[in-house]
Amino acid sequence: MRLAGQTILFLVLAFLIGPFILICVAGLSGGETLAFPPEGLSLRWVARVFEVESFRATFAVSITLGIGATLLALLIGVPAAYGLERYNPPGANVIRNVLSSPIIVPGIIVGLALLRHLVIPLGVGILPALFIGHTALLIPYAVRIVSGSLVNLRVDIEEAAVLLGASRLQSFTKVVLPNIRNGIMAAFIIGFITSFNQVPVSLFLTGPGVSTLPIDMMAYMEFNYDPSIAALSGLLALMSLVIVLVAEKLLGLSRYV
Amino acid sequence: MFQDRRLGLALLAPATLFILLGFLLPVAILLSGAFQTPEGWGFSSFTEFFAKPLHREVFWRTFRLGLYVTAISAVIGYAVALSIVDASDRKGQLVATLVLPLMISPVARTYAWVVILGKTGIVNQFLTGTGILDTPARILFSETAIFIGLIQLFFPLMVLPLISALENLPRDVVPAARMLGANWLQVFWKVILPLTREGLVVGGTLVFVGSLTAYVTPAILGGSKVLMLETLLYQRVSVANDFAAAGVIAVILIVMSIVTNVVLKRLATRKGGK
Repeated sequence: MRLAGQTILFLVLAFLIGPFILICVAGLSGGETLAFPPEGLSLRWVARVFEVESFRATFAVSITLGIGATLLALLIGVPAAYGLERYNPPGANVIRNVLSSPIIVPGIIVGLALLRHLVIPLGVGILPALFIGHTALLIPYAVRIVSGSLVNLRVDIEEAAVLLGASRLQSFTKVVLPNIRNGIMAAFIIGFITSFNQVPVSLFLTGPGVSTLPIDMMAYMEFNYDPSIAALSGLLALMSLVIVLVAEKLLGLSRYV
Repeated sequence: MFQDRRLGLALLAPATLFILLGFLLPVAILLSGAFQTPEGWGFSSFTEFFAKPLHREVFWRTFRLGLYVTAISAVIGYAVALSIVDASDRKGQLVATLVLPLMISPVARTYAWVVILGKTGIVNQFLTGTGILDTPARILFSETAIFIGLIQLFFPLMVLPLISALENLPRDVVPAARMLGANWLQVFWKVILPLTREGLVVGGTLVFVGSLTAYVTPAILGGSKVLMLETLLYQRVSVANDFAAAGVIAVILIVMSIVTNVVLKRLATRKGGK
């Protein structure tokens, strides 16, 4: 029984992780087309990734969008989580459902809705629309993760701070914030990665000169069968690996997922 | 200390207004469009949509693949979750290994299957190299390829809730059932499964809704031939400007995802669980 379990576990982990190793190797190919095993090893396609103009431009868009949308989601999500957990205001359950609704609505619909009913009629730019869509998507994560941290934080230390003469704002910034810092940082990392990897929300929100990296990769692979997408995928996987390992060491990230 | 309800509402206002105006309102307008007809309101967009055999085929394929992926993930998920909970010394590392793929771009994750299943991929190199096949088989752009991609994408979402459910299982119940003469299958059906039903429901909802609403996997591994609802939606809009069909698909996807969430939650909290 135990042996069978171990075997299944090993096979499943190989199935989950193996493809990443293969894609990294395929990206190191020296040949002209994508193949495995690769024709010789070289770094030419890794170097090529950095030369493709659209990859560089969309990488910058994705990074900016990821950081900006996550910051805004936290800026309005942290107070919301605090309001929900501590004040339990009237209609808290309705508000909770509203705040988590972006998780239930498929991203492609969000993108289409923003294009048809925000960008076109109101003349909102593509980039602001992307920013709105991504922020809305990230708010549920920010609220959920920060709420989790607040639940674990005892209320009496805030009461003590106020009794000792701190204002509400001081007790929040000096007592609450330092204690939920790890939760906020975990929410930032998870939010950034979610936005950076996001495809469906962005799908309809691309225009001349504005696209995100994953969308651009999908457009590129439709017309090219060279190993550069494999090389870029490998690089992105490594980037995620580094972020996750560092975050796991510092924050214990997997507790927050 | 926290009695000031107006302050509480003020803290909630920015996020709530943002979601209402920047998200729910545009989505609601889009969805309402699916019920508009030349004469007013009605379901004619839906009857028109389902009149096309291709659309029916895509609908059933999406539903079917969602069920398969969820069922297989659940079966293998229990086996994996049980052995991870068992291996208490390496549990942290194993959970981290399951979480890591979730953080990697789905485009990168899915493209790995092009390397494996493509015309010059490993599987075909092996098949032609060993002489089993003369010409490479077409494995990409099939339901099988989408199925494999979806399983890899969503499997961790099934296992992680199962692991936390199994961790909350009282320590003595399995040995007790064994001592009272239950065999392993009985222990699983009568003890483990009922007590971890909530974890199964959480994981099942995530995997099923995730599969229904996946875009990247069917786009890369199914191409324009083997469509699922999301890729059909994209194609209808970008190729044909067919916003009526897009609205119908949007309604179908949202209804399916809400119904799944509600029905499964009911199942989890019904008698027996607690």
